[in-house]
Amino acid sequence: MAERSFHVARLPGFATTAIIVFLALYLPIITLVVYSFNASTSLAVWGGFSLDWYAKAWANTQVKDATMRSLIIASFAALISTTVATMAALGTTRRRAFKGQTAIYVMINQPLMVPEIVTAVALMILFGLIKQATGIHGLGYLILAHSAFCIPFAYLPIRARLEGMDLTLETAAADLYATPWQTFRRVTLPLLAPGMIAGAMLAFVISLDDVVITEFVKSGGQDTLPTYMLGQLRRQLTPEINAISTMLLAVTVVLLTAFFLLTRKKD
Amino acid sequence: MNRLMTATALLLATTGLASAEGVLQLYNWGNYTSPELLEKFKAETGITVTVTDYDSNDVALAKIEAGGHGFDLVVPSANYVQIFTEKGLTTPLDLARLPNHANIAPEWRGVEWDPGRANSIPWQWGTVGVAVDTAIYGGDINTSAVWLEVPDELKGKINVVPEMTDIVTLATLYYGGQPCSEDLEVLKKVRDGLLAAKPNWIAMDYGATEKMSNKDWAASVNWNGSTMRIRQNLPTVAYGYPREGYTLWMDSVMLLKDAQNVDEAYAFMDFILKPENAAMISNFARYANGVSGSEAFMDPEMATAPEVVIPEEHKAAGVFMPVCSETSREYMTAIWTELQK
Repeated sequence: MAERSFHVARLPGFATTAIIVFLALYLPIITLVVYSFNASTSLAVWGGFSLDWYAKAWANTQVKDATMRSLIIASFAALISTTVATMAALGTTRRRAFKGQTAIYVMINQPLMVPEIVTAVALMILFGLIKQATGIHGLGYLILAHSAFCIPFAYLPIRARLEGMDLTLETAAADLYATPWQTFRRVTLPLLAPGMIAGAMLAFVISLDDVVITEFVKSGGQDTLPTYMLGQLRRQLTPEINAISTMLLAVTVVLLTAFFLLTRKKD
Repeated sequence: MNRLMTATALLLATTGLASAEGVLQLYNWGNYTSPELLEKFKAETGITVTVTDYDSNDVALAKIEAGGHGFDLVVPSANYVQIFTEKGLTTPLDLARLPNHANIAPEWRGVEWDPGRANSIPWQWGTVGVAVDTAIYGGDINTSAVWLEVPDELKGKINVVPEMTDIVTLATLYYGGQPCSEDLEVLKKVRDGLLAAKPNWIAMDYGATEKMSNKDWAASVNWNGSTMRIRQNLPTVAYGYPREGYTLWMDSVMLLKDAQNVDEAYAFMDFILKPENAAMISNFARYANGVSGSEAFMDPEMATAPEVVIPEEHKAAGVFMPVCSETSREYMTAIWTELQK
C-alpha cells in the first residue's frame, strides 16, 4: 500500500462537512414535521401532541379544493411534458449530430435558466390578453404553463436513458422487416419506459411544488395548495400549514423513492 | 382516472365560469374571509362565492392590471385604493344599490383616500402602536418614546417590527414631521433617532404574539389584533397609542371595472355592510370592521377590547398612510437601509 488512489471520503473534514450539510438540509424539515403535531396555535411554542391540525386541514374545504386542483394540474402537466420531452429526446439523440443541436438543447432547457418570476410575469401578461379576448378562464392556462416548465425536468432523464441505449436492437428490428412504427412500439418504447416514468414523476413533483408561476397565472377560484399556503402569510400562521406541508412532503417522498427505484441500475 | 379526466375536461371547457348564474369571484387576502359568512350569504341569496387568495397588494394590482383575471371584487389596503381608482381598474359604486352604505361609521366615511366612500367599502381595519408588559415598565406607554428613547426598564427587551413604512412613519411623526415627509431637517432627526435607539432594541422581528406571550420580549411595536391576543395570554400587557401619531390601516372592498357578476357583487357588498354580517368578518379575523352597530354582534372580548376599539382620547392621533411620492420613498428606503446595517 504505497500509494492510495484519490477518494473524497478520505479528505480531511469529510465527515464533519457531511454532517453539517445533512443537518442543514434535514433539520428544518424535521422541525416542520414535529410541529405539525403541536396542540397549540403557535408555530414555535410546543403545547403537547395532537392531530388537531391534520383534522382541521382535512375539514377545510379550501384546502381540499386546492389539493384536488394541484393534483389535476400536476397529472396533466406530467403527462403532456413527458410526451413532448420524449419526442424531443428522440429527435435530439436518435440521429447523427446536426447543426444547431446545442441551440435546441438550450431552448428545451430554457425554463431551467430563466428566472421563474420573469416567466411568470410574461405568462401573466400573455394569458391576460388571451383571457380578455376569449373570455375563457379554465384550468387550461395553468396546465399549459406547468407543462412548459416541466419539459426540461422530464427531458433530462429520458435523454440520459436514450443515450445509454445503442442503435443495434433497432437496426436489428429494421433488418427483420419491422416498420419504423413497429420498431418504435416494440423495441424503443419498452426500453425507454423507465426513463419516461422517471421523467413524468419528476415533472409531477415540480408542478405540485410550483408557487411563483401559479400565483401569477391563476384566475378566480384557481388556488393550488402552494398558493393557498402563501396566502396565509399575512395573517397568523398556524400549525395547519405544517400539517399540510407534511402531507405534501409525504407525497413528494413517495414519488421520489419510486423515481429512485425505477432509475437505479439493475445490476 | 376516468372521473379525473371528466372533471378536468369539464373544467377546461368551462368558458362562462365567471358569468354563470349566482356566482361571485372574491379576490382577497388569504385566511381573511370567514367561511360561515359565505355560507350565510349563500343561504340568503343562493350566490356561491369563490375566494382566491393573494398575499400582497402588489401581486393583486399586477394581476388585475394584466386583465383577464376573472375577479369581481378585490380588497386592497387604503393607499392602494387610490391607486386602483386612479388607474381606472375599479368603478365608482352605485350607492343607490347599497342601502346599507349608510351603516358605514362616520369616521370611516370621510377618509381622505376615498371621500364619501364612493369607490370602496370597509372590510377591516387596525392600528400600529406599542405593546408593553406593564409589569416590567409602569410608565407612560402612549408615546413612541417607549421605543425611540427607550426607558431603562425596557432596554434590551423591546422589539420593533421590520415594517419600513410603519416604523419610519411612526418615527417621523414622533420628531414632528408628516407621513411621506421630504423635509430633510426632520428626516435627519428621524435617522439619527432610529440609529441611536437601535442598540436598545432586542430585535427587529415578527412574531410578537408568541415572544411577548412567553415573556421573551417585554415590549414591541406591534399591531393591535396581535396585541389583543398577547393580552389574552398575559394580562399585564397593554397597548399604547403614541400621542405623537400612530398609523392606521384599512382594507376595503372595491368593485372591478371588468367584473362579470356585478349584481352579485352589489348583493355581497350590501350584505357585509349589515352590522351582524360585518361582525362575522371581525370574529373570524379578529380586527374591527368600520360598520356602525357591529360591536353588538362581535365576540364580547373583542367588542370591549381597548386594542380593537380605540379609546376616544386617542382617536385624533391616528394617521392613514397616504401614497408617498417617489422622493419620499427613496428617503424612507435610505433610512431603512442604514437602520438594517
